[in-house]
Amino acid sequence: MSPYLAGWRLGFLRTLRSPGDLSVRIGFFAAILLVMSALWGTAIDANGGELEGYTRSSLLWYVFAAQTAVLGVRPRSVEEIGDEIGGGTIAIQMLRPVSVVGLRMSIDLGEACARMAAAFVAGAALTWLFAGPPPSATALAMAAPAIVLAAAANIASSHAFGGVAFWLLDAKSTWFLYQKLVFLPGGMLIPLDILPRPLEVVSLLLPFATMAYAPGRIASGDTNPLLLVWQMGWLAALIVLAAGVFAAGQRRLQVLGG
Amino acid sequence: MTTVTGTLRASLADAFANRGSFWFQVAVMVVNDGTWIVFWVLFFHQVGTLRGWGTQDVIVLFSMLMTSAGAALGLLANSRRIGHLAADGELDETLVLPVGPLSHILTSRIDPANMGDLLFGPVLFVVAGDPTPERAALFVLGAVTGSVVLVGFLVACGALTLFVGGRGEQADLGFNAILIFASYPLDLFGGATKVMLFTAVPAAFVTGLPAQLVRSFDPAHAALLVAMAGFFAALGWATFHLGLRHYSSGSIWTR
Repeated sequence: MSPYLAGWRLGFLRTLRSPGDLSVRIGFFAAILLVMSALWGTAIDANGGELEGYTRSSLLWYVFAAQTAVLGVRPRSVEEIGDEIGGGTIAIQMLRPVSVVGLRMSIDLGEACARMAAAFVAGAALTWLFAGPPPSATALAMAAPAIVLAAAANIASSHAFGGVAFWLLDAKSTWFLYQKLVFLPGGMLIPLDILPRPLEVVSLLLPFATMAYAPGRIASGDTNPLLLVWQMGWLAALIVLAAGVFAAGQRRLQVLGG
Repeated sequence: MTTVTGTLRASLADAFANRGSFWFQVAVMVVNDGTWIVFWVLFFHQVGTLRGWGTQDVIVLFSMLMTSAGAALGLLANSRRIGHLAADGELDETLVLPVGPLSHILTSRIDPANMGDLLFGPVLFVVAGDPTPERAALFVLGAVTGSVVLVGFLVACGALTLFVGGRGEQADLGFNAILIFASYPLDLFGGATKVMLFTAVPAAFVTGLPAQLVRSFDPAHAALLVAMAGFFAALGWATFHLGLRHYSSGSIWTR
């Protein structure tokens, strides 16, 4: 078995074997869906039943997919990567005859897939309850790969961001900033179509939109396959970027002691 | 100097030991908080008012939340870690001391990032919350009672680990739930959810009711807030001390 596939499997099974953590995340997800249902339901009712083309139902399915993709990824992974680099434990990982960043991303994606599978089932059931059926079966079916692509892009981007610790030796609290890039220009808190036009254009040019907006847009009923192509393009670019940051960082890494 | 203030001073000195890191984390949290303000400004720009709530009302709600969360999670950072401390057997080092265990645990750790909330919340209110003397006094009252409710609730959730075991998941779930619900106007919710916000997840007493009080003073609401702060302080204290009877040592003295 390829070491990366083994890493994915390890992450997936490890997450499934932590039912406490998984249930907390599902409970958190349910609370968010409840709040968002109330917020957007009220907002759309106050605007005559539609907001920039979104109905109450399509907007809640947007929220479901965007949240599933974002909550699947460990929020503090940027900080953890920074801690491992700053603390020198990354040097142990470099002894393995595999790519450090490749194996790390495989494990993180395995963990994310387990969380997202649970969140997808629970979240779809709750959203159906709050908002009725999805806009179409195709939208729901396309949302599943879009969510996985979104999480993969988020993980690759987190590694590129966290890899800065090779130079700064610390990524403390920077995860807050990274997370907010996914929240606002990424479209997790608010669909990009609802933002003022200049902000929408800038957000669509950034990779963060593929991490929440793209799966949300698909689940809301826009089944344009170019959305998936857009995600794949940014995913490839972010993987190259993360690999480049780690390769450059590993070349200059100096660890004292053992 | 009492034991509590002594411990708090030592924790502050510890957090301040690396000043560069402290202020960096504070600054990051301020930027983080600013993002939420941007979200609400954009939201109301597009949507208009929401059941009587406009941008300024939500800014008051957020400044209340930041101040209360800053006090509970920054100044008394262990309030959300009671469950984890119990699960890891880390209560031992406090239980051998001749001090009240809960007050010592709560004051023995400061989180610099959340101190950013405690600094930014009042500043946001002064800058954008129309701070007349009456509103400012009500803001202080709401922030103090909200902080007490939040700490009491988090301690009670964390202490559940002492009864039912686990790795502190009860505290994590309670923490996430109360912060999410406290971040949104109370009037968005109705029915069973609203009942929950006044009982099982008391987010209404952390931000919703205090923010309403700042908008229009009502002595009955103010009295209710003070009474609930007393209730949740007692709940946290009682749950923790009853739970201690179930605590098994982790044989960990220092870490």
